[in-house]
Amino acid sequence: MKANPVDMTPWNSAPPEKLQGVVLPARRFTYWKLVIRQFRKNRLAIWSLRFVIFLFVIAFLADVLANEKPLLCQYQGKVYAPVFRNYGVQLGLLRWPAPLVNAEWGTLAYDWAVHAPIPYQPQNLDKANEHGVSPFAHQHVRSMRWRHWMGTDELGRDVLAGMLHGTRVALMVGIASMGLALIIGLLLGALAGFFGDEGLRISRARLLLNVLSSFPALFYAFGSRGYALQDALADSVTSFLYQLFISLGIFIGFGVIGNSLAVLFKRIPILNKKVRVPIDLLISRLIEIMVSIPILFLIISVSAIVTKPSLLIVMVLIGLTGWTGIARLVRAELLRIRHLEYIEAARSLGFRELRILLRHALPNALTPVLIAFAFGVAGAILTESLLSFLGIGVPAETITWGSMLSMARETPSAWWLALFPGFAIFLTVTTYNLLGEGLTDAMDPRKKN
Amino acid sequence: MLRYIFKRVLIFVPTLLVISLLTFAISVNAPGDPLELLNKNSLGEGRSEDKLASEKTYREARHTYGFDLPLFYFTISSAAYPDTLYKVADESQRKTLERLSWKYGDWNYVSNWYLQLRTLEVLTARIPPVGANAVSLNTVRNDVYQLYDQFEERKICFFLKEISTVVSDSGSLHTLLLPAYQNLQQSFEDIQVHATPYRKYVPAISWYGTANQYHRWLSRFLQGDFGISYQDQRPVSSVIGDALPWTAGISLLSVILAYLIAIPIGIHAAVNKGRLSERIGTSSLFVLYSLPNFWIATMLVIFLCGGDWLHVFPGPGAAPVPDDASLLVKIGTTSYRLILPLICWTYGSLAFISRQMRGGMLNVISQDYIRTARAKGLDEHTVIWKHALRNSLLPVITLFGEIFPLAVSGSVVLEHIFNIPGMGQLSYEALFSKNYPVIFAVLLITAFLTLLGNLVADIGYALVDPRISYSGKKK
Repeated sequence: MKANPVDMTPWNSAPPEKLQGVVLPARRFTYWKLVIRQFRKNRLAIWSLRFVIFLFVIAFLADVLANEKPLLCQYQGKVYAPVFRNYGVQLGLLRWPAPLVNAEWGTLAYDWAVHAPIPYQPQNLDKANEHGVSPFAHQHVRSMRWRHWMGTDELGRDVLAGMLHGTRVALMVGIASMGLALIIGLLLGALAGFFGDEGLRISRARLLLNVLSSFPALFYAFGSRGYALQDALADSVTSFLYQLFISLGIFIGFGVIGNSLAVLFKRIPILNKKVRVPIDLLISRLIEIMVSIPILFLIISVSAIVTKPSLLIVMVLIGLTGWTGIARLVRAELLRIRHLEYIEAARSLGFRELRILLRHALPNALTPVLIAFAFGVAGAILTESLLSFLGIGVPAETITWGSMLSMARETPSAWWLALFPGFAIFLTVTTYNLLGEGLTDAMDPRKKN
Repeated sequence: MLRYIFKRVLIFVPTLLVISLLTFAISVNAPGDPLELLNKNSLGEGRSEDKLASEKTYREARHTYGFDLPLFYFTISSAAYPDTLYKVADESQRKTLERLSWKYGDWNYVSNWYLQLRTLEVLTARIPPVGANAVSLNTVRNDVYQLYDQFEERKICFFLKEISTVVSDSGSLHTLLLPAYQNLQQSFEDIQVHATPYRKYVPAISWYGTANQYHRWLSRFLQGDFGISYQDQRPVSSVIGDALPWTAGISLLSVILAYLIAIPIGIHAAVNKGRLSERIGTSSLFVLYSLPNFWIATMLVIFLCGGDWLHVFPGPGAAPVPDDASLLVKIGTTSYRLILPLICWTYGSLAFISRQMRGGMLNVISQDYIRTARAKGLDEHTVIWKHALRNSLLPVITLFGEIFPLAVSGSVVLEHIFNIPGMGQLSYEALFSKNYPVIFAVLLITAFLTLLGNLVADIGYALVDPRISYSGKKK
């Protein structure tokens, strides 16, 4: 069956001015424009958005704002930009010139230098200001430029530098883990909601071959490559990702073989009979299982296994456990959308199910996902700070808001260690929550006027 | 309705099964040996008769706790996977052997290598290290010890060669150890000659039946035997029995408090919507809701419990009440210490519930029947507290389903900060000391209660709202 050439894109993505003589509302009344207009009216939400952007700027510029290395300097007659060169060194592209290898950046005799506003990195130990120096107390510093504006911790590390670099960790964990959750949640929620229990019908051949090929796929992709993956993980994250990529390639390869064989086997009439796959039931059960597991427990116990703690693992864990909210929302939205007339119309025009789902149904279900994403980021940041507060999963040398807050427990007199990081967590989490609230309000059709 | 409840309870089974499998998988992959927790001295470091003796007790302990059983009903792995590996007692030796078998593809020869290695070890342990032989004997012992952890050909050959030189150089050792050494040498050559590395690409299934660790643990769990806590060797049920009253008590109190305070606040906020006082109140509730409780708890401990500031409350921790004190004294001492934890436990759910209550109330009072009630001339008090309240309680009731399981799992971080010996603290410590029987029990109980809580909330929903019926066709 050939698809009818009438353009079936939903009217909010690219509205045609005319459709068979009917004049549609002009472009400025699209759904998104309404949402944005509604959102702009919410002053609190706008300020939250501005604050989030501000946080992103800090996270992005953390190395420039707080760094023991100068931004630009002349040393022994040569001009360097150590902060930026450091990126190249860490990526393995550049090397430090001989006089700067293992340099004591704070005490080098520069010809001239442009320093970062805060001349400390979160890991730097200021031996002169150990045992938690208050921001208001007398500090043993050379000049005001070296002052610890938010005090120091037990080991003499600058709190303000830790706050700035902690922003980066918090946002990275929040966005990356929710990104992963978004992918999983969208995929599963869309499958469950769009097809329901009746909608997904595939031929016996395809079902059988997919199930059968999944066993060798798992075996050859992960089972027999177990040591390759394990050694790579012990080696470095990049080599692990590379090995993982190969494994995924093998896995997908088996899927492709299975599905191409299915096309051949479908010629046999018995195997071509369609079977109903209750995909909604399966995915709903999965969501139910995920929801009834105490997530924090799960994350704690899994990170207890990992011998080498890393932020990546924390992100993946939060992402793998945080998708249920998004999946539920997408499912509910698609359950509604799939009965709408334009989907019927698309179906009667002979479009393939996958195309209807991806091009016509899913784009209209994305709005609530944005809300869930905002709330999810708040939750992920809270979880990360909780984990580092408990000292689980996050490497000890990584300074985060949570780890600084936990240091306050060991030095109870250091109020600055409790106040600043905790307030940063609170402010960030609240802002994301306010953003979510603002989006909810803006998308509420009852408030449209 | 009964049919519905039955169906829901039936769904519990696969859910709990998945959770138990998940926990089991985590515990199996966790590094460290739980037996070392049970008896710290069981694996002696001395390499002589003592070591053999301590190894024997270790093996016996391993048998008592069922660690010498295969892990699961079956394994799906490759033909190179050692299917009787679980019999080897030492964890790092197991890992090395698995790797060797993986590399050379034949477990039969690798297990023979292991047996020969053990024979040589036992032999060297039996020879007293006296006289001129002491040094060379120690070298051999050390080499054997090293060989247990090697899977690279180069290193194995190095240690084998070293043993060979030592054995051939010293006279008395020569006669004693040579046959065992030759066997060992031969077994390694066998491995190399008969290497079939391709076998790691051949899938194989081995079936172990019900004599496995998972089955043993699950069947005992279902009979109410949760196992023995590795840390203090008490039954898990009694460990949990000690912790549960703390968590359940505080949580229950905080839930009741939260509902008692939140409902009037929510109603008040809804009724006075739009006024300045309400707007301030609602925003502060939002702020309260977003305040991370572990931050507030830390701040309260720092500023109010001694330290450099106010000393209003005693330091964190459950009160050391003497056992013979009267009940009143007990309650008195404990309750004073519980004020701060209770505040931290309550304020979040308080804010959450009152926000929900406000939303529910706002929905209800805009409805027609409320207008009718007002039009009838009923006074505002009756309208709100009699007509509107019942319907607006609906969303708040479902919240109970979410709060209920928390009452048991407890807040890990709050109990940690306030040093309360409840379920959260128990599981936190259990996780750090790899005390898996406790973790299993806490996880499964919490999951079960979450499911139960959801069910109770759904049933409560149906009881309060006659429009909701579960007996009909599936939603």
